[in-house]
Amino acid sequence: MKSFLSLFVFLFAAAVHAASAGGDRLLVLLDDVAEKDVYSTFLGDLEGRGFKIDYETPKSENLHLFHLGERVYDHILFFPTKTKGLGPNLTPNILVKFINAHGNILVTNSASTTIPTSLVGLLNELDISLPAERTGLVVDHFNYDTLSADESHDVLVLPAPHPLRPGVKDIFEAGADDVLAFPSGVGHVLGSSALLNPVVRATKTAYSYNPKEQGDVVDPDDLLAAGQQLALVSTFQARNSARLSLIGSAEMLSNKWFDAKVKKLGGDKVGTWNRAFAKKISGWTFQEIGVLRVNTIEHHLAEPGVESEPNPKIYRVGNNVTYSISMSEYSWDSWAPFILPEDDDLQLEVSMLSPFLRMNLELVDKSTDASTYTRSFTLPDKHGIFNFLVNYKRPFFTSVEEKNTFTLRHMAHDEWPRSYAIVAGWPWLLGMFLTFGGFLLFCAVWMYSAPARPTTTKKTQ
Amino acid sequence: MAPKRIAREGTPTAATAPAVASTPSKITVKPSSGAQSWDQVIMSVYNYYQSQTPQRTKLIDVFMAFLVLAGGVQFLYCILGGNYPFNSFLSGFGATVGQFVLTASLRIQTTEANKADFPSVSQERAFADYVVCSLILHFFCINFIN
Repeated sequence: MKSFLSLFVFLFAAAVHAASAGGDRLLVLLDDVAEKDVYSTFLGDLEGRGFKIDYETPKSENLHLFHLGERVYDHILFFPTKTKGLGPNLTPNILVKFINAHGNILVTNSASTTIPTSLVGLLNELDISLPAERTGLVVDHFNYDTLSADESHDVLVLPAPHPLRPGVKDIFEAGADDVLAFPSGVGHVLGSSALLNPVVRATKTAYSYNPKEQGDVVDPDDLLAAGQQLALVSTFQARNSARLSLIGSAEMLSNKWFDAKVKKLGGDKVGTWNRAFAKKISGWTFQEIGVLRVNTIEHHLAEPGVESEPNPKIYRVGNNVTYSISMSEYSWDSWAPFILPEDDDLQLEVSMLSPFLRMNLELVDKSTDASTYTRSFTLPDKHGIFNFLVNYKRPFFTSVEEKNTFTLRHMAHDEWPRSYAIVAGWPWLLGMFLTFGGFLLFCAVWMYSAPARPTTTKKTQ
Repeated sequence: MAPKRIAREGTPTAATAPAVASTPSKITVKPSSGAQSWDQVIMSVYNYYQSQTPQRTKLIDVFMAFLVLAGGVQFLYCILGGNYPFNSFLSGFGATVGQFVLTASLRIQTTEANKADFPSVSQERAFADYVVCSLILHFFCINFIN
């Protein structure tokens, strides 16, 4: 009885402690299930956050991503495998279908293995280019770790990622001095897709080369990329807000590098920030942070003295209207009020075929799990079918696109201002009433006055 | 001599008084009597008007002068201040113009000199027509200003 009760409490606690807003079924693909001990701290952190992990090898027969049309797993984590392909169950088409079904993927590469063709195909779909021959090594002769890679220079010491520009949410929240170790990793090059965001770019003196074929000299024509064009950790967010992250070095997630010490040329020995970075990047990829939700949208007439129902279908030109939207942000395990980053604005558009009004919504209310953004304004003077459109698409946030259609009607014939209310017309009104008054006065005087003496026919006598 | 000559020629001109001006505008000067300066001509016209026109006609003329003044002021305001509530401008100005036209037709029908042209229209009939038409005009103006 006691064990049953404790089991029940345990299960209830597990159910309540939600891992991510996207689900908690995580598939980890490894060559050899014993390899997972190398990453045991990272995987232990994931399990601690509530994920249910399945370990599989790519070529196993009963590995299916879809069953009866639904996803079997919510997230996939690819560790480097030595196989050339990933088998018939993980073709690029199936992986793209997985992303389209709102599944998230975290891909890691390593310089010691060639990248499987399925992953190269998947990343090509997303406009990420990998080195030719599917292998490479990122090297920097100025920013390497002197403790472990004194000769080979392939362990890069990089500053922790910070927002690229003001207004972008800082999901990493790294200190100014935190460093990342990037041991023997593969770089990649991002295309110009609007859905891609680099997280960690190589330093200005880094480059990528193939140790087997370009061991002596790297021909500039064969160079994949160098400097900050070479991305080491990048993210992709699909329009349906499914996420894919590409980490160029799987070893940076291993136990060894979580609590290693690195020392740059002429610098001090510092601990790496890899563990917090791994938590943040996997948290973002698996929809634990940066997930937005629109709770309600409400617009109503804001004319004084008029009671208005919420969300009417029809308004009149020139009406005063208040629009408010309630949004929440998921943060690790619960929904919290969504606060805009500094220098960023949540914009509302009132548009027919093109926007007539554009304005920023203001935060007016914050509850424990939602925040409300509101604005009061006057509708345009043109009649037609209009939309309220909130289109908020930012790096590292899910896309928010909310469209509410309404009709804007003309003024009714009795809604125009009355003539006596228009002060500019008062002289003419006065003139008209003076004419009427003059007429009445004239009639009175005419009827009072004697008629003109008629020309009498002289009576001839 | 001068008043008599003008009296002979002033009557037909007074009978055909144009609707725009209330004083006769045509003065034919007989060449045989010699040229006269303009101010003398105007003075004689004015004196004849004062002495010869009946009281009721003069009343009509005063009302018409007032209407011209009212219409002119409204038009001046339209030019200077813009015609924003255009309906109001049309109503106000149209009221004065319409009333002027109706009053002019009343004058034509009631002056003694025209009695021969209107054998079947008595003074009262002319006045009744005038009142009815004025009321229709006023009704239109009130409606038009919304």
